[in-house]
Amino acid sequence: MNSLIKLELTRALRNRKFLFFSVIYPSVLFLIIAGNADSTTKVPGSDLTLPTYMMVSMASFGALTAVLMGNSERIAKEREGGWVRQLRLTTLPGRGYVLAKTASAAVVSLPSIVIVFAVAAAVKDVRLAAWQWLALTGAIWAGSLVFAALGVALGYLASGDAVRPITMITYFGLSMLGGLWMPTTTFPGWLQDIAKWLPTHAYAALGQAIEQSRAPHVQDLAVLAVSFVLFAGGAAWLYRKDTLKA
Amino acid sequence: MTTTASVVAFDQVSKAYDAVRAVDGLSLDLRPGETVALLGPNGAGKSTTLDLLLGLKNPDSGTVRLFGTSPRDAIVAGRVGAMLQSGGLMDEVTVAELVRLACDLHPKSYRPSEVLSRAGIAQIADRKVNKLSGGQAQRVRFALATAGDSDLIILDEPTTGMDVTTRQAFWATMREQADQGRTVLFATHYLEEADAIADRVLVLHRGRLLADGTAAEIKAKAGARRVSFDVEGTVDEPALRALPFLTGIDISGRTVRIQSSDADATVHALYGLGVYPRNLEVAGLGLEQAFVAITTAEEAKSK
Repeated sequence: MNSLIKLELTRALRNRKFLFFSVIYPSVLFLIIAGNADSTTKVPGSDLTLPTYMMVSMASFGALTAVLMGNSERIAKEREGGWVRQLRLTTLPGRGYVLAKTASAAVVSLPSIVIVFAVAAAVKDVRLAAWQWLALTGAIWAGSLVFAALGVALGYLASGDAVRPITMITYFGLSMLGGLWMPTTTFPGWLQDIAKWLPTHAYAALGQAIEQSRAPHVQDLAVLAVSFVLFAGGAAWLYRKDTLKA
Repeated sequence: MTTTASVVAFDQVSKAYDAVRAVDGLSLDLRPGETVALLGPNGAGKSTTLDLLLGLKNPDSGTVRLFGTSPRDAIVAGRVGAMLQSGGLMDEVTVAELVRLACDLHPKSYRPSEVLSRAGIAQIADRKVNKLSGGQAQRVRFALATAGDSDLIILDEPTTGMDVTTRQAFWATMREQADQGRTVLFATHYLEEADAIADRVLVLHRGRLLADGTAAEIKAKAGARRVSFDVEGTVDEPALRALPFLTGIDISGRTVRIQSSDADATVHALYGLGVYPRNLEVAGLGLEQAFVAITTAEEAKSK
């Protein structure tokens, strides 16, 4: 199985477009959004400055891109093309394929988080304690598993031409409504009520809690946990269905 | 021949999709070292049979055993190498990388360089998998199926997309596999391949086994020989149809083509009718014609 992870990783690192969008793009977006903000104004409804706030949003967005975008489309294609069937004729255990995909996505998502942090610290003077940097990296990295599970579920749910639009809608919907591109406090009230139940909102809130050195809200942790159970459970169910049908 | 000695054992295996019975009460037994061709028209159940054999599908009823164990256990033990008809490959990696993966995953694997050269793809080892021609991709699939020392090799339409030269080279490679004592089972559309390569031919039709024997036996079953001639004067069709050992007849104008299970007796009776056949030809039936004869006879029976 390690050899499949290695090969999946080789392939991901070779794909420049994918690397740009998951590793470089979030940092670029961070500079565009936070670039002109002065480092003292607070984000409404929060005691964090815009650069500090957006740093977590963009790191979360980068990790989301890395784990969601590549996998769902690849899985759908490889399922249809028959590569998944071919792998079932090897000693690789049934779940090995999905685990290898998730593991390789996790390797790509780590630099996308760290690069946003580096850019924020270097260009916008974001300063945090050492434990906060470590905790942020760990929390955002671990939290991305929720969306990795969603990516796998989408890959087994949709097929052919449908997988890309479905992934895109999910990806942009979760990013925007979850407040990864702009603070949800700028949304109208009714939209804020929806946003706070989205896993991406809870995901970014987790990082912002670390920045404020306070314990995360129970609601955010619950939303993430429930989402993970739903996505992973859905992925497992769809995987089993696909295996019986193939 | 006990069940445990069988490489592949199907016992009353059935598999249906909705109302269609893809495989219908199939029983068969493959023994070590055999090279077996699986023949059948499209929709005969060839691919489903191979899927059941490899454990990619579960039968609705009946049992499938490989080497006395389940298909999955046999695969995990490294005893089976398989090449699927449209077995997808991983994109954006090189041929060598993919073959190395297959070797890593096989418990009794060969060295990747050996596998590459045996499959005849050493010179395209650095090429990306998604940039290959159809025939080259087939060779890569063959390399994946032969990455290790498996006892059973399954090939589903292996030469699809290959030109004549590549096809011949491919079968030479395949023969080496069989000569090393492996059991080889291949499904094919090309009847000449079955005729030339297999020591046993299985004819599948509507999910059932219509014939099982050597290529020669299959031909014999269909009516072994073809007799053709021209008739001078009027053609007495009822008399011709009543000829002994006749298994098929086709009359167009003055030309008569007969299939007979005993051509000598048929021709003898023909002279007895007082017919003087001109341009008489007696020839063996090709496997292709035998195959068509067997399946159309079955088709007629089921109607």
